[in-house]
Amino acid sequence: MRTTISVDNKDVLAAVQSFLRKLLDSGLVDALYIPLESADGTLIPSLVVDPVLLEDANPLAPVMPINGARAVSALTNKGDSFRLGAVLRPCEQRALIELVKLQQASLEKLVLISFDCPGTYETIDYQAIRQAGKFDLNQYLSAAREGDEPALEQVGLRNACQMCVLPVPENADITLEIFGSRLDQGIPVTMNGELCEKLRYLPEEPPAGDARQVILDRKIQDRRQVRDRQLSGIQEKITAEGGIAGLFAACIRCHNCMTVCPICYCKTCLFKTAAFDHPPEHYLRLAQRKGATRMLGDTLLFHLTRLNHMSASCVSCGMCTSACPADIPVGAIFSAIGAKVQATFGYVPGRSVTETLPLITFQANEWTEVGEAK
Amino acid sequence: MSDTNHFEPHILAFLCNWCTYTGADLAGTSRLQYPPNVRIIRTMCSSAVDPVYVLKPLLEGADGVLIGGCHPGDCHYQTGNYKARRRYVALEEIIKAAGFDERRVWLRWISASEGQKFADTITEMVAALKELGPNPMRTTWAV
Repeated sequence: MRTTISVDNKDVLAAVQSFLRKLLDSGLVDALYIPLESADGTLIPSLVVDPVLLEDANPLAPVMPINGARAVSALTNKGDSFRLGAVLRPCEQRALIELVKLQQASLEKLVLISFDCPGTYETIDYQAIRQAGKFDLNQYLSAAREGDEPALEQVGLRNACQMCVLPVPENADITLEIFGSRLDQGIPVTMNGELCEKLRYLPEEPPAGDARQVILDRKIQDRRQVRDRQLSGIQEKITAEGGIAGLFAACIRCHNCMTVCPICYCKTCLFKTAAFDHPPEHYLRLAQRKGATRMLGDTLLFHLTRLNHMSASCVSCGMCTSACPADIPVGAIFSAIGAKVQATFGYVPGRSVTETLPLITFQANEWTEVGEAK
Repeated sequence: MSDTNHFEPHILAFLCNWCTYTGADLAGTSRLQYPPNVRIIRTMCSSAVDPVYVLKPLLEGADGVLIGGCHPGDCHYQTGNYKARRRYVALEEIIKAAGFDERRVWLRWISASEGQKFADTITEMVAALKELGPNPMRTTWAV
């Protein structure tokens, strides 16, 4: 059902905060997962039970410190869960759907709150602009309303956001509509009838014409061009001299990409075990065979193995790129290769909990030519 | 390695215990001839071959990797080979997209009674890899 959150004094953030407070006060949820913003502009992903603290809540701040699906996994995966409300961006939500299918999270007792995502900046960029007093949320939101890419001074959106073609939530219980909306006059919301009733909102007729869809179509079209350009750039580098090893040449094997990846959930990753602690002679033999060997070893193996394990479920959130200290476009590489794997299986990660993960299922009559002599 | 006329490919084979490994055994006990370029590792099922087992030798310079399993429908564990097939398809995509030659990785269904087919497959694979030439990873050290 569609309704409107009223906005007083054109303060959109305060209206969102009071809506969230209502969720807690009404007892519909016991706690809220949401980023709280500190005075210096640092967003801290938090589990909030005290409604008073929501005055620091800022889900609209264009920063994504972690992929929140990891937090929701921690909060719903084990034991007796409580009624949790989670404010997640569309890509966080898609990651959550994948984690549910990987049996690492649960949607039971969960109220998913999401919103049209105009895109996020690197944490450090946002902090700098915020500390210089130059961030204007209203300006950011009005650019979003028009479907323009918001731009901080000389700073672009995170790479993954620049090429995001899925900026609106698909599986949320509550969706705040930002694209095409004059938010200072009220925030259009869609939510299910039960929530609407319990929160005492009156259902409204949907507006004539669909400004949101028009803006969204244009945005997706533009972003798709950026995505195609970026991904084909990656493909070119892969086929060029140096290949994929060249793309990962600067990797320092810090495992940041794996740590921040919402899909990489394994508690004992093969690459954190002693499996690749070879005896010194092994390295010498490798070096003797090839003339030299890269230390620490197995760098490309690490990335290719990770691709094998998670590329079907990669939601292109780009946390890996943001976390990479060597400025390797990990996310774009994984998106480029992931897209091929996903296309092969006709699988769209994060779309639906009922779509089976491609590598845990099979059909007897598929790829029958595979395994036969050519 | 520069003289490709004398290039002998190195093949690593992961063979399922119930079918292809037994088939290889049959090839041996039947004294069938096939090229000695293959090193065999026995696994309990083709689906037990983690892609990392395929990638690691390829990156270290093996010229080919063979995964051998039971024919579809004949898996000792009912469905392992169907899952191996999907996993192989995914791996093939990744190998291709990452810029490697997917023709270096073979999946073949060879049953316990198909000793001849095993010998033929190895003969075929050695010929195909000789055609392809040595794995560039033999000399690419910065991986």
